[in-house]
Amino acid sequence: MAEKPRLDVHPTSVRTGAVVAALVLALVCTIVVGITCGAVHVSLHSMILALLHSRALSPDDRVILMEIRLPRVLAAAMVGAALSAAGLLFQGLFRNPLADPYVIGSSGGAVLGATIAMVLLPQLSWLGFSAVALLAFAGSVATIAVVYSLARVGGTTQVVTLLLAGFAVSTMLSYSSYFVEVLDRDYGLGLRVLASWLHGSVGVPQWTQLGVMGLLLSGSLSGAAILSRRLNTLALGDEYAQQLGVHVERVRIGIILTGSLLAAVAVSLGGLIGFVGLIVPHLARLIAGPDHVRLLPITVLTGASFLVLTDTLARTLMAPAEVPVGILMAFIGGPFFLYLLRRTKRGYTA
Amino acid sequence: MRPLLSFERVSFYYGHRQVIAGAEFSIDAGACTALIGPNGGGKTTLLRLAAGLLQPSTGQILFEGVELLARSRRDVAQQIALVPQDLQIPFSFTVQQIVEQGRTPYLGLFGGLGASDRSAIERAIELTGIGPLRHRIFNELSGGERQRVKIALGLAQEPKLLLLDEPTQNLDFGRQMELIALIRQLRAEGVNILAAVHDLALISGTFSTVLLISPYERFRIGPPEYILQPVILERAFQCPAPNLNSLPSFDRRREFAR
Repeated sequence: MAEKPRLDVHPTSVRTGAVVAALVLALVCTIVVGITCGAVHVSLHSMILALLHSRALSPDDRVILMEIRLPRVLAAAMVGAALSAAGLLFQGLFRNPLADPYVIGSSGGAVLGATIAMVLLPQLSWLGFSAVALLAFAGSVATIAVVYSLARVGGTTQVVTLLLAGFAVSTMLSYSSYFVEVLDRDYGLGLRVLASWLHGSVGVPQWTQLGVMGLLLSGSLSGAAILSRRLNTLALGDEYAQQLGVHVERVRIGIILTGSLLAAVAVSLGGLIGFVGLIVPHLARLIAGPDHVRLLPITVLTGASFLVLTDTLARTLMAPAEVPVGILMAFIGGPFFLYLLRRTKRGYTA
Repeated sequence: MRPLLSFERVSFYYGHRQVIAGAEFSIDAGACTALIGPNGGGKTTLLRLAAGLLQPSTGQILFEGVELLARSRRDVAQQIALVPQDLQIPFSFTVQQIVEQGRTPYLGLFGGLGASDRSAIERAIELTGIGPLRHRIFNELSGGERQRVKIALGLAQEPKLLLLDEPTQNLDFGRQMELIALIRQLRAEGVNILAAVHDLALISGTFSTVLLISPYERFRIGPPEYILQPVILERAFQCPAPNLNSLPSFDRRREFAR
């Protein structure tokens, strides 16, 4: 029997390439949909004309598109990408399908930071960043540093200690925001903004803020791409990874740093949005299987499209009023997650 | 000839509890060694020391004359593979994906599997006879199948020394026989093996050397007929010695199984 000629390219990578291309197309489509929909109607036709024939949009339309909708849609895409990638990293690190981006405590610090910003420094802004965006980012990163140093004993970190320390620190911080709320003299206005932030809502960022966050996002996604092969090895367990020559502690620090940076980017742009980081990696696993090298791009693109769509719904469902996207996400994500849980039960035993 | 692996007065403590006291032995290339001893006697600890996963509290461990601690982790991983008692894997990784992980010590952070990696993987799959399981999900395999996949993962590392931690544990009679046949085959292929074994009747005919580790008896290493003597086993296992001659040997059992 004659041997078949060997393919230079592995068939699975061809399929992954096709999936990624389809997802890129889907993301572009959702972004276009996101820009077209909104409380004020701007027709797709006039937008295309403006692009192709540089026929100017009306000044109002221009402001709505360039200063409000496009930044918001891009922010939603970035938040979705960041949360999904962080969820994937932490699920791989903890070898647990229930881990999410906030699992080691970044949400607690972010809540405290955002509360301080809204109640005490509502007017502050710096380089296009609102005080909330800045302090939520800083709070989230600082919390991880504290949690990691608490969980590190004798040169190594036990994964369970990390989870428990994260839980304790995060809970303490988010409840201590109560004492800041008491100081509120704004007759509850700041608190209502805070409530909406806690339920997750993508704001309208300035372009500089988008630029900085975009840089941080692409930096940490490159980090995640480097770590993705190691995540496959970590699936065999820390000790097995060690005997395969992996410096487990270094990889773990890398994952925690990258994952926390991603979570901080998301929190800074969109408040606390649940479920995305939990379900999108599972969705991607249904498409691509458990190999993290293939999963990462699929997870990132799916997460971005998913959040752009959900955020568009959040803006338009009760327009001109707005539902916090986190609440919508709970209604979409919750049932979907339960469905996944029952469907893939056997895959997650042991 | 320089021994493959040698322990020089190695002791190991977990906290204040001494698990291994003054281990002194060496294993030559070409040997197929059975590690025996009572439960909690330090067999697993000894294997983990030999794989460089634990550092001896005192003494040193040499591999081909070079101290393990002086070698990089990657280097050790290219020389020695340890197949642990159990391997828990989250998510639905397939057998193929798991065996591919055995190439980790040869890969950088970037770049995928090369031709030599793929041929090592194929060889490991072929030797362990798990070709038909390739696309099955690891978590859905039976105990005997998992054991084979774990050994294939170890073999994909192309180690000079393969350490097996109780490979026949929890296997039914037929799967035990298959596994012993696999160990014989690997030995014939020139793979150096050090395996912790509970069932003493499986040793003769398969292993060339026996290493005894027991809290009640000094370290002993030698051919099976020298170590597997009632007077030694009685002290080492603290029980009336079984008469191994009255137990059917592997070959007689295999004939019976046919």
